Amino acid sequence: MTRFIVRRLASAVVLILVLSAVIFVLQSVSTGDPVKAYLGANASPAAIAAERQALGLNDPLPVRYVNFIVNLVHGDLGISFRTHRPVVTDLQTFLPATIELVIWSFVFAVLLGGIFAVSGALRWRGSSIFRAPLLVLATAPPFLLALGGIVLFYAQLGILPANGRGPGETGPTGFLLIDTLVAGDTAGFASAAQHLLLPAVVLAIAPAIAIGRIMRSSLENTFGADYVRTAESKGLTPFRVLRRHVVRNSIGPGLSMAGLQLGFMFAGVVVVEQIFSWPGIGNYLAASIPTSDFPAIAGVTLVLGTIYIVANALVDVLQAIADPRLNA
Amino acid sequence: MSASDPNEILLPPLETVSTVTGAPEVISPRFRMPGFPRGQRTPGRRLSWVIIALLIALTLLAIFARLLAPFDPVQPASGLNLPPGTPGNLLGTDSIGRDLLSRTLYGIQVSWFAALIVVASGLIIGGLIGTLAGVFGGWLDNLLMRFTDLFLALPGTLVAIAIVAALGYNLQNTLLGIAIVWWPYYARIIRGEVKSLASRPHVEAARLAGTSRTRIVFRHIIPGVIPTAIVTASLDIGNVVLLLAGLSFLGLGQPAPAPELGADTARNLGQLLTEPWIPIIPGLAVLMLSLIANLGGDAVRNLIGGRR
Amino acid sequence: MLTPSDDRSAASISGLTLSLERDGVRSNVLRGIDLEVLPGEIIGLVGESGSGKSVLALALMGLLPERSNPVVGGSIRVAGVDMVDGRPDELRAVRRDELGVIFQDPMTSLNPTMRIGAQVTESSRNAAESLRLMSAVGIADAELRFTVFPHELSGGLRQRVMAAIAVAGKPSLIIADEPTTALDVTVQAQVLDLLRELRDEFGCSVVLITHDLAVAGQIADRIAVLYAGRIAEIGPAADVLHAPTHPYTVGLLRSRLSLSTPRDLELQTLRPETASAGERMLGCAYHSRCPLAVPECRAEQPPLVSVAAPATATDTETAFENEPAATTATATVTAAAPAPATSHDRACWRSVDDVQGFIHTGVSAASVLPVSVSGAAREPAVRVTDLTVTFSLKTGWRGRGRGGGRTSPAEVRALRGVSLQIQPGEAVSIVGESGSGKSTLLRVIGGLTPATSGSVTLAGGGAQMVFQDAGSSLTPWLTVGEMLRERLLPLKLSRPESQKRIDHALTAIGLPLTVARVRPSELSGGQRQRVALARATIIAPAVLLCDEPTSALDASLAASVLNLIREMRKELEMTVLFVTHDLSVARLMGDRIVVMTHGEIVEVGPSADVIERPSHPYTQALLASVPEIGVLS
Repeated sequence: MTRFIVRRLASAVVLILVLSAVIFVLQSVSTGDPVKAYLGANASPAAIAAERQALGLNDPLPVRYVNFIVNLVHGDLGISFRTHRPVVTDLQTFLPATIELVIWSFVFAVLLGGIFAVSGALRWRGSSIFRAPLLVLATAPPFLLALGGIVLFYAQLGILPANGRGPGETGPTGFLLIDTLVAGDTAGFASAAQHLLLPAVVLAIAPAIAIGRIMRSSLENTFGADYVRTAESKGLTPFRVLRRHVVRNSIGPGLSMAGLQLGFMFAGVVVVEQIFSWPGIGNYLAASIPTSDFPAIAGVTLVLGTIYIVANALVDVLQAIADPRLNA
Repeated sequence: MSASDPNEILLPPLETVSTVTGAPEVISPRFRMPGFPRGQRTPGRRLSWVIIALLIALTLLAIFARLLAPFDPVQPASGLNLPPGTPGNLLGTDSIGRDLLSRTLYGIQVSWFAALIVVASGLIIGGLIGTLAGVFGGWLDNLLMRFTDLFLALPGTLVAIAIVAALGYNLQNTLLGIAIVWWPYYARIIRGEVKSLASRPHVEAARLAGTSRTRIVFRHIIPGVIPTAIVTASLDIGNVVLLLAGLSFLGLGQPAPAPELGADTARNLGQLLTEPWIPIIPGLAVLMLSLIANLGGDAVRNLIGGRR
Repeated sequence: MLTPSDDRSAASISGLTLSLERDGVRSNVLRGIDLEVLPGEIIGLVGESGSGKSVLALALMGLLPERSNPVVGGSIRVAGVDMVDGRPDELRAVRRDELGVIFQDPMTSLNPTMRIGAQVTESSRNAAESLRLMSAVGIADAELRFTVFPHELSGGLRQRVMAAIAVAGKPSLIIADEPTTALDVTVQAQVLDLLRELRDEFGCSVVLITHDLAVAGQIADRIAVLYAGRIAEIGPAADVLHAPTHPYTVGLLRSRLSLSTPRDLELQTLRPETASAGERMLGCAYHSRCPLAVPECRAEQPPLVSVAAPATATDTETAFENEPAATTATATVTAAAPAPATSHDRACWRSVDDVQGFIHTGVSAASVLPVSVSGAAREPAVRVTDLTVTFSLKTGWRGRGRGGGRTSPAEVRALRGVSLQIQPGEAVSIVGESGSGKSTLLRVIGGLTPATSGSVTLAGGGAQMVFQDAGSSLTPWLTVGEMLRERLLPLKLSRPESQKRIDHALTAIGLPLTVARVRPSELSGGQRQRVALARATIIAPAVLLCDEPTSALDASLAASVLNLIREMRKELEMTVLFVTHDLSVARLMGDRIVVMTHGEIVEVGPSADVIERPSHPYTQALLASVPEIGVLS
């Protein structure tokens, strides 16, 4: 077990290195010239040449890669063309908002997916009525869901805000829900929760259905398994059969899918943050794209990519713990 | 498949494994009594064909978008901000008077073919790599699959964004970016399928029969992979449609005046609360594409998957 | 604990009918079953696949699959509780307190992610009791085994765990659904012994469901033969086995292979089904396969009635000559049996004398063995010298092995220095249990698995192979004709010539020529194995390798395929290597028998010698485990 976990985490480290290499290669073929972008279009050729030398852009490729990695380790992702601040500083500013949004959204996705799966697998009455609309929602582009949500809940009903995180002050954690709670700012907390609800649900819908479908089919498979019949033949209550025999054995595919979807959510968050003006790194990325701010784009890719890789590694480890056959 | 129609050949049941009226555990769905209608789930099959027809209709719409569009999509055609239902401008117009129906039709054309191109290229590259790895095995398999796994473990969408951002914003680069991160999925699935077919006794039987290696690959393995490949690909078109729309929404697509579904929504976001149809109509078009693609994928799986 | 209120039986089934739905088609699985299970008795329910025996077991437990929308008529009472219409909590209480179950495959029947002890304790409700039960069912080191997962145990131990779960809470009835089918022969015998011990120790009744009359014969007090959802014959075990009164029972017994089946004669098989489902419903379901059928059989269902005149001693003696012990055994059992639940009943329009008179008719006397096997002074057809095969179990770079395996050492030595010579025209059977290396040996000879060291020489041409699973050995998307034609490619025949060869091959295996245009999915299991045989023999191979080709088939079908292989051998003068786990099949198919265990050959000799005078303890153990009819304790 420990060996498996160590190996899985080591492979995650390798993957992060590969990701950084990919970013580096893209950076070196990138069409935007960081020096011109940094000094402005009117800079003199001499100043540009000096700056190139200073930035080490004239060094051979391997040397530049080593420098790139060294800089990465020291937390240097370059300077944003757009904000003229270090990318790392920008990311530190915006990352907590994104993580807060994605975590809540992920919780919604797992809950909704679980309800969808269990109601489908147990054939609750009425569960089939919701299937068609849910499937339509799952195939809709997230930006359409976001717009629909804004039109309905903000413009028509006026019950949910459509913009930003709310007036509460962020504190040490950067997670507004926690910070307002710690500061005793109940109004700020309520507002933060209101602001969070719509973007989180919009972001959760497609993953919820993906998770729900997989969980449902694995639940159904497990219900048909011989050992569940054995459990039933012991005269156990349905709830006990479900809890002790079905859930654990059908959790695996759901877990993998949840991990995969968590990764997709960190990509999908870009569009949602932009529409809801959510001050996270997705919005930062969306703003960086039109200005071809490659250092910013690369930084966001690296950070979100690392989160994605780590999340998937954790899911694999969880699965190994859930199923003793996997780590033989 | 006509030669294999059980209605056509009257097989005398020489022996029947099931000696009974057909107790459920032994009914072979393949072995039907002559005179029975083919397939018990006729309604399901019929529905599948309807959806396939829809898929074909959509493709025709995309092909003939230019003929069907009443106006030039980039030139103002009528008054500004006309609502849907306006005579002459069925879906209305945008803030500079361009016909939304025409723009949407052009956008559908771009999205649909772009998605098909991405899926096809993924299928070709992934299929080739997967087949090579599966057929040859050994170090080649190891090498190709490690490479593939590496790609699979990276966050595809983000890498695609970074690729397009590095190479410059246009449709070709977007397609290239997605294609680069898309093929590993196919390589994995097809390699798995090839491997599982290659380890089946029927391939061993063919080997024992002295069948040449090439013949085994092309006659005893690849025909078995094709249904899986087609089903996988058709289930995937919807995903690519959504991803393309998302990237286009972020500005990673054709530059400004060109009609593109995601971008058209993004550019008109400001009018969401005043003229909501302008940003929403292109989004609905994306929904339609992805919905038909997904249903089509299920239909293809129902029709093909059931045969194997 | 609930007390049986209405009568003294552990379970009583009356007028039970049951239909299930699959893919929108409803079929009648059980069609009127009356059965009393007496306290403390072991009753064997015997039937081929599709007879409804497993569904009957599920019905007894009140666990019919809801997805199949079961429609049940009649009644089932276990411990006085109505298992058809009872409340769910009542049924649960019965399952908890009155019933114990042992299913076919202990691997899939135990929860893979739960420790053994916890699974037993769910049933026994206290850990100390679980330990006691685990020891009681013969699990050594129960404390150690308590905390392991199912995949860390052997098949036999797993089935013992199932038994411990079954006896927990002192049930009045244990239902064992094919408890031995997935196990090796030596383990099978242990599990059957265990069932009997459980009955003796706990005093519970046992319903033993099996496809093999001899398995039932080993421990059952009574046997019920099921055919198409009805009881064809029921009575004391010895009576049913030695004085069968239903043509179907007779047919099953005749087609069953035993260690005393004549080696040189064609095996008896049941006739194929020719009646439609509707026709079967109308009269006796067996009528189209019954050699004794009269018009009445087609028109009306025979009722299950007592065999009027009890079988006389002479009847019994002539029934099966190879079991001389039968007479006395029958007499004792019959005498000891209390009436009326143990009466011998049958559902057949023909008289008992007619049926029993039929037992020995229709046996062809022509020998199916080749005239002579020229053994001397010729180059062996197959020479295997000091063959070793070692498999290394690699794990992927992400460390993900496929689930379901046992705890795995890094290497498995499948063959450890095997040497063997086979003469041209000779037939050799290789017998062993799972993991003995018998299939690996065959595959190395066929060139499908590379040898680690040692050598294999095939004299004169190649080998062809017939696989265990005929379905997967045929290419699903090619027609039978295309597959056969492919074999002929090297001969470069003209199209009409190859067509002639194909037609000839199909005729030889007894299939109509239209089969050439059909894909494997449209054939039945037996037909597929015939096609596989046709492919192997369309060009006569020097050596025919058979890897358990009949183990997935019902007894009668298996017999017909074995007949065919022997016929082919005689006609084409092939050398045959036949791998099997079944000693009676090995004896029948091989001039010599090779016994393997743990990758080594432990005994080789002429079939008769190995069967009658086994020299190695392992062979002796194997032989002792073969369920034979007539072995009564």
